[in-house]
Amino acid sequence: MTLRIVVMVAIAAMAIGWPFLLENRYITHIGVLIAISITTSVSLNMMLRIGQLSVAQAAFMGLGAYTSTLLVMRLGVPFLLAFPASGLLVAAIAAAIGPIFLRVKGVYFVLLTFAFGEGIVLMFQEWVSLFGGNNGIHGIPKASLFGTSMVSLRSYYFFALGLAGVTLFTSIVIFRSAIGTVLDSLNENEALSQSLGVNPLSYRVAVFAVAGFFTGLAGSIYAHYTGFLSPDAFSFWSFVDMLVINVIGGIGSPFGPVIGAILLVPLPELLRDVRQYQMLTYGLLLLTAVLFLPSGIVGGLRELQRRWRAR
Amino acid sequence: MLSLTLQIVLNGLTTGLVYVLMALGFTLIFGIMRVVNFAHGELYMIGAFALTVLSGSLHWPYLPAILCSVVLVGLLGALLERVLFSRVIGNEFNCMILALGVSICLQSIALIVFGPDEVGAPRPVTGVVHLGPAVIPADRLFVGAAAILLLVAFYLFLNKTRLGLMMRAVAQDPEMAALHGVRPNLIHTAAFAVGSLLAGAAGALMAPIYTVAPYMGELPMMKAFIVVVLGGLGSLPGAVVGGLMLGIVESAFATMLGSTVAALVAFAVVVATIAVRPEGLMGRRA
Repeated sequence: MTLRIVVMVAIAAMAIGWPFLLENRYITHIGVLIAISITTSVSLNMMLRIGQLSVAQAAFMGLGAYTSTLLVMRLGVPFLLAFPASGLLVAAIAAAIGPIFLRVKGVYFVLLTFAFGEGIVLMFQEWVSLFGGNNGIHGIPKASLFGTSMVSLRSYYFFALGLAGVTLFTSIVIFRSAIGTVLDSLNENEALSQSLGVNPLSYRVAVFAVAGFFTGLAGSIYAHYTGFLSPDAFSFWSFVDMLVINVIGGIGSPFGPVIGAILLVPLPELLRDVRQYQMLTYGLLLLTAVLFLPSGIVGGLRELQRRWRAR
Repeated sequence: MLSLTLQIVLNGLTTGLVYVLMALGFTLIFGIMRVVNFAHGELYMIGAFALTVLSGSLHWPYLPAILCSVVLVGLLGALLERVLFSRVIGNEFNCMILALGVSICLQSIALIVFGPDEVGAPRPVTGVVHLGPAVIPADRLFVGAAAILLLVAFYLFLNKTRLGLMMRAVAQDPEMAALHGVRPNLIHTAAFAVGSLLAGAAGALMAPIYTVAPYMGELPMMKAFIVVVLGGLGSLPGAVVGGLMLGIVESAFATMLGSTVAALVAFAVVVATIAVRPEGLMGRRA
């Protein structure tokens, strides 16, 4: 327990001190990317913990990004409203498709969300008048809060960090609460839980909607931070990024994807000069993790801690 | 109108037959090992590159080149199963992650070795063939004929050879098959090799028709997956019917309404199929 507290305090201190470290814009930029990645990966982690691998998460991020962008650019809606709207819209979509999608499990759910995701990306690509097609949308205005535009990198960093924190907190609360017990019982023995009066579908749809909500919000920040959107940012490969982060960090705990994101998001930047090796590294990391560290870094640490105590 | 219909059906059948090759391997691997082989498209890509290197760079004649590419991909499949998949078999989730990892690795290795540019393989067959009022490129017809030949060979393999019968037994009931002395390890390796071989054959056959590039496997993989969901995961007849159906329906929609509509319709059909009948059109209920 003490180890966990030390690690958490260290991570929190690191997170807050990060943009002041070296006073380097580039370091802060990486920090923003990590924070956005934590939000999307922790959301995917919520789905993984109810035993469903949702490939639709990348498309959800895209839906949030385009919703926020179009609301601000086309309808002149202030960011303060467009931001929550993007999360709520994605949550509503998840809640609408959830009752159909979540009736199936395992491979079938993967295939279903895969088809959904591909369909959404195809819509972004082909509905040019609304989504700008493969050329994407340029010049997305910076986010503004209460009339002041967020121009500084640091303000984005703390905004994204705040969202990541809230997402992580929500995930922890959900899975530690009575709801979490119900969800775990569904994974253990669905028939028995049902016999006790639990409606499994509604719990799963709720988690799907919550995961969609935060992923949509992350999409909104991403859009206004980068100022540019194109469909391929939300393709299957962006889902693979979220998944690699979860597998490396460990899918059994909400802290798994946090550690995964901190370790993996800077990787493409380090391997920038050798782009083709970046993908290979991802692939090899996945293989290594599945074969030798199936419960990820968090699982490995727990194992070490257990052995330490047993001595 | 009749000639247009004939043309649509012919176009659909020639593409559909390639889908069938892809889908059969994909569904065979799933039916026997419960592995969703996300790397299936990369096996297709490697088949195409092998043919391009053998017949293009090394100037081998077409037939030995294609046979060698197919065998090469089959062996690669056997190796992947022995070294990687056999370690996680039984855990559906880990199998999926592993397949994704293999897919990423193979694609990036191809990118490192061959570079991102599209290359062409020599075309062994050229010209067009007139079938009544319809016109069909001769190379397409050749691919179709070769695919049919492969399908017949595959059918005979499954129904007439001992290994094929053992495979079907494992797919139907692994425990019962094991009780009768079928060694699951051997069958897993064989199934992965045969499935890969079919994907490699599809790639090698299509290489002279399309350009060859490291990411070329993504689209065929997606088609295979659509076909397999339509036909029922693990169902071999489903893969054949689904593949031909997807080919013809796509060809019809692409001719009338454009390829985007065709793709969207395919996705909508997948979603509807899984939602209404998850076991697919011809699959068994689990």
